[in-house]
Amino acid sequence: MKRKFDHSAPEQNEAPTGPRYWRSLDELAETPGFQEQMAREFPEGADNLNGVDRRRFFKLMAASFALGGVGLAAGCRRPESHILAYGKSVENIIPGLPLYYASAFPIRRNAIPVLAETHQGRPTKIEGNPTFAPYGGATNAYAQASVLDLYDPDRSTTSTIKGSAATAAQINDLLAAIGSEARASKGAGLVFLAESSGSPTRERLVAKLKRELPAAVWAEYDAVLDEVPVAAAKAAFARDVKPLYRFAQAKRIVSLDADFFASESGSIGYTRDFAKGRKALTKDADLNRLYAVESTFTLTGSMADHRLRLASSHLLAFAAALHGAVTGSKQLEKLTAGLQFKDQEKWLAACAADLLAHKGKSLIVAGAHLPAEVHAVVYALNVALGSVGNTVDFVAIPAPASAGIAEVAKALEAGAVKTLVILGGNPVYNAPADLEFAAALKKAGQVVRLGYHVDETSAAASSGVHIASAHYLESWGDARTADGTIVPVQPMILPLFGGVTEIEVLARVLGEAKPDGYSLVYETIAGLNALGGVDGEKGFRQFLHDGLLAGSAYKSVDVSLNAAGLSMLLASATAPSAVTKDALEVRFITDAKTDDGRFNNNGWLQECPEPITKISWDNAILVSPRLGKELGIEPGGSLIQVARKEFGTFQQGKEQAFVGEITVDGRTLRAPIHIQPGLSNYTVAIALGYGRSATGRVGTGIGANAYAIRSSNGLGYATGAKLAIVPGEFAFLANTQEHWSMEGRDIVREANLDEFRNNPGFVAGMGMEAHSPAVYGDMKPEEFAKLSREERAKITAERSASTPRGGSLMETPDYSGKNAHLDGVHQWGMSIDLNTCIGCNACVIACQAENNIPIVGKDQVLRGREMHWIRLDRYYSDGKLEGGAFGGPGNAELPEDPQVSLQPVGCMHCELAPCETVCPVNATVHDQEGLNTMAYNRCIGTRYCANNCPYKVRRFNFFDYNQRQLDSLYMGPLGKKGMPELVKMVKNPDVTVRMRGVMEKCTYCVQRIQQAKIAQKVKAGASNNVEIPDGTFNVACAQACPAEAIVFGNIKDPNSRVSQMKALEQDYQLLGYLNIRPRTTYLGKLRNPNPEMPDYAALPLSRKEYESKNHPAGMHGHGATEHSGSGHDSHGSKEEHKPHASLGKILFGGNS
Amino acid sequence: MSNLFPKSVNKLPLQILIFIGLTVGVVLAGVTYYATPKYTRVGYAPQQPVPFSHALHAGQLGLDCRYCHSNVEKSGHSNVPTAQTCMNCHNQIKTDSPLLAPVRASYASGDPVPWVKIHQAPDYVYFNHSVHVARGVSCVECHGKINEMEVVHHSKPLSMSWCLECHRAPEKVLRDPKLVTNLDWKHPGGAEAQLEQGKKFVHDWNVQPPQSCSGCHR
Repeated sequence: MKRKFDHSAPEQNEAPTGPRYWRSLDELAETPGFQEQMAREFPEGADNLNGVDRRRFFKLMAASFALGGVGLAAGCRRPESHILAYGKSVENIIPGLPLYYASAFPIRRNAIPVLAETHQGRPTKIEGNPTFAPYGGATNAYAQASVLDLYDPDRSTTSTIKGSAATAAQINDLLAAIGSEARASKGAGLVFLAESSGSPTRERLVAKLKRELPAAVWAEYDAVLDEVPVAAAKAAFARDVKPLYRFAQAKRIVSLDADFFASESGSIGYTRDFAKGRKALTKDADLNRLYAVESTFTLTGSMADHRLRLASSHLLAFAAALHGAVTGSKQLEKLTAGLQFKDQEKWLAACAADLLAHKGKSLIVAGAHLPAEVHAVVYALNVALGSVGNTVDFVAIPAPASAGIAEVAKALEAGAVKTLVILGGNPVYNAPADLEFAAALKKAGQVVRLGYHVDETSAAASSGVHIASAHYLESWGDARTADGTIVPVQPMILPLFGGVTEIEVLARVLGEAKPDGYSLVYETIAGLNALGGVDGEKGFRQFLHDGLLAGSAYKSVDVSLNAAGLSMLLASATAPSAVTKDALEVRFITDAKTDDGRFNNNGWLQECPEPITKISWDNAILVSPRLGKELGIEPGGSLIQVARKEFGTFQQGKEQAFVGEITVDGRTLRAPIHIQPGLSNYTVAIALGYGRSATGRVGTGIGANAYAIRSSNGLGYATGAKLAIVPGEFAFLANTQEHWSMEGRDIVREANLDEFRNNPGFVAGMGMEAHSPAVYGDMKPEEFAKLSREERAKITAERSASTPRGGSLMETPDYSGKNAHLDGVHQWGMSIDLNTCIGCNACVIACQAENNIPIVGKDQVLRGREMHWIRLDRYYSDGKLEGGAFGGPGNAELPEDPQVSLQPVGCMHCELAPCETVCPVNATVHDQEGLNTMAYNRCIGTRYCANNCPYKVRRFNFFDYNQRQLDSLYMGPLGKKGMPELVKMVKNPDVTVRMRGVMEKCTYCVQRIQQAKIAQKVKAGASNNVEIPDGTFNVACAQACPAEAIVFGNIKDPNSRVSQMKALEQDYQLLGYLNIRPRTTYLGKLRNPNPEMPDYAALPLSRKEYESKNHPAGMHGHGATEHSGSGHDSHGSKEEHKPHASLGKILFGGNS
Repeated sequence: MSNLFPKSVNKLPLQILIFIGLTVGVVLAGVTYYATPKYTRVGYAPQQPVPFSHALHAGQLGLDCRYCHSNVEKSGHSNVPTAQTCMNCHNQIKTDSPLLAPVRASYASGDPVPWVKIHQAPDYVYFNHSVHVARGVSCVECHGKINEMEVVHHSKPLSMSWCLECHRAPEKVLRDPKLVTNLDWKHPGGAEAQLEQGKKFVHDWNVQPPQSCSGCHR
């Protein structure tokens, strides 16, 4: 029987086939602009030369050919080059082989243990240190990108005194003079302002400072909060403790505004633990359940099974109400005043019942930015639920610094500061606006600033001293991880510009005998080791080797609730004011890209799309759909809109956003408005860390500075704000979310846990391949899913090498027998678990660092030319059937509560790759081990392959992004050519740096595969032991992933980890019906909602859309006959129709 | 009608053909000579800052290749020795030779001796020495009889097609890995015995030299 797939667009008023995912509101609304874009291969402008017409183009070409001719004559013979061997042999260095050193990436109080890869003394890549068990070798995007900062051409290269360059000796003398002067007055008038740090050496030096110069002030200030305020623990438990969560043990989790996947300290370990509790390796797996109550849309919220949108200022009331529901006591009832949300009683009762049913296995977490009162109530809740000691441990921590930036500002105002030493940070930029820190700074006698950039603070203190700071990869230091384990910071390279560290500055002021970093750290660690009776030198070497000091983690302590302290803290709490359109709440969020602004000049991070909004190179005022509507952002012609208006000048792929002005306490800020579904109605969110006036060429002038409206009494959020549209002003936002849309099919396959338990192979019943003849081998997906895992792994392994032809009518090449082209020792494949992927971008940056992927700049991203080899698709679904995309009347209301499905997509290395068949020059071909390779030197840039790739994962070098300045790309040969020496140093020497005009894409880290194969063959020598043992190496994305969602390996070996993952019932191919046989497959996403909850959905919302589109009730044709059991070919027996029939009931309330 | 064209025109097609033939021939010869590795590289023997003689050290004195190229079994790069390696012997022998002055200077200062590169793979080629040596491909297969060279010259084209010849038929060159640095070794049984033994090695060691792009290009 001949089958024909109809891909034509659905008629108006006809239900289209395929699930309705939408990646942007424009897509959901089907605005004309979006429709136009869908018809294009690349977004508009992506394939056009900027402002150059055909005629001019040929003129330019003629000129460049002429120039080329001149070059030819000289280039006949290759130039002489040299081999420069070392004069003296260097220990351990073998040219061509990387070395790995244990170090740590310090950020605020908590460091991430890392291994730095160095090539002949040049660090190029950061990996997690697997010796530190809680993180298991995982990292995050910041740590991955931190190596780029080392080679930042805009970093501070010289120390200056009063604006003129100073030598290291001059600086040292100056610091020593400050110290001896201060000694005379016991330190009066000497003030230090630093960021918080976990460094034991710094702790030791600060203790010495307090001892020797008791009148000196030591103050700490962090621009963003990532640790729970100690005041809460002080009140609740009467001691200095902090919570460490054990998510792996928690079965029921409630998060109050806590983004513990990203912005909370220790997030890597938390993600890892959470993912452990979320893995569905068997159908009886007991998945955890996450309730998220939050004002903004965070990654944590996107993972939640139940998500409640609530203003941050109302979370104290919520916590109190939940406390009441859990304990039944009326003790905190008065705090609940003002709390109001939909189905409040039912929500709280059902949630509380669920928590109580899992006493000792439940956990409540609150965001670090929330006030101490919330945390105190959360502690009380955790105590009541028996979580303490089970899912949360309290560890004793050193008392925090007594002074903060407010005290420093006060002292400055009073003129009491003779010398202010600012160690790192950037207070002029990020201090609370009410402190007027820049003005106050002028009242200091002398300002000494240790800074990595000549930034706002250095500029404000230009009459003082600026000391160039060293990067952590070029300095000695130590730090603590979130659980308190002491980790070393080792230099990989001598300071490139002679920078120093804060401990060195401190030591010189204190007049230490040996003020160099190594001696300081050695002394600290030897001192600690001596306590345990360990030899100093030996212990220190062990410390450096392991990358951590074993047994140095904070000790957990028993805590008991101190009712008096708690009620005293809560006594002053008042009921929150209502948030309305005229009294908005503003949330200041830690940015996923620049953190608090410290990574502002890091191109990798700047270009990485924010995980939820998908905006790169900018921040924006995020507003809820309802607020957007009330602000009148509603262009004619479209039913739903984002913060954009379709003018005559509108260009697709570019988000032209309204500009809004926020007013808080009389301070105003202008920024583009972006409508973000899932926000609390009257909370607007803005990311910190943008709008820098002095940083470097990447970050200066990007975005809006939200610190300008943030004051001391509202560091996390402020209330009573107003937002108005600035008439006639618009801004472009480089938003990657509409590029390469997959047109809403069964892309992310989801099920609820109860359905999965009945039918773990639910993915096999979805998608067009479930309804077509078996395209892969001789088995249809549903039959295949019925086999045992061992059988499936075995068949998959066999298929990987034999490429069976299957039952497709499409004439695929016969690869059986001696025509086998996949005859390598290994067959590479990847499995991505969508159930644990949190969409954190660590893989994207890890890939960028490993594979020399260039950044292209905002202008190019606006044209859809970003180069990331992995993109993280973020789909919204709201389960509504009447949307415009269905041919119905369209949504009258903007969806406010969408569910999010995230999916990383890179090259799938299809066995029957469509890109390969269209390449006219064989630049992309298959190798024997199943890799879809890309030979850059053959590529002539036709881009046919990108056109023919159904996943749209190929990236084209429209310009020589490596050699050209991003602001002069369009100047052609007139622009400056060449990469700064410093930037060259970050490149991975094992990967080709691509030039203009070639296509590139994920290679499955072919360099790592080859290195592992070579190492194995060297080991094998004259034997046949050439198969790489499973787990010997890993690809960059999988290595960085904190959720262990990506597994890579040899699928020819049925026992390898990747084969085991692929053998799981919920394994499916993306667009499997195309019969292109991708080597990357996905594990379906599961949700675990509570049936008692008022917002319970019997099916994930995206699935609801899928089912209602493909099996619409009451409609004649395909779906109806299927459910009547008339022997539809995709379903075996009558029993199997039951789940579908019941789905119909769920969807249509039994009307079907 | 009078003759419009003179008689000499009759020869024109032939002349054109000859002209085209000559032009194509010259262009082909030019491209072959100036742009193919076989001609551009083979025979390249630049003058080195120190007239180091492989014929003396490796041939006459019988130093093993790996004494100086010490990392060839571990790394993709076969390292050129550091000045320190040279000085291991030359602090005893020929300590005052003016020819060795650059080496002594390098050892004293740490600045490298600027050896001129002879064998150069393009940047997009990731050739790996260690795997070839470990699996029984002798130095001589790519570098020629270095042990007989007074001045090292480029002896094989090292072009991609040349690489692939061997990757397609490794049995022609495989030998016991213990013998890879013995540049004079030839299978005592002659070419046929070599082929037979090579086939055995290919089978026993599961030798599958990569023939696709990813083997060398990353």
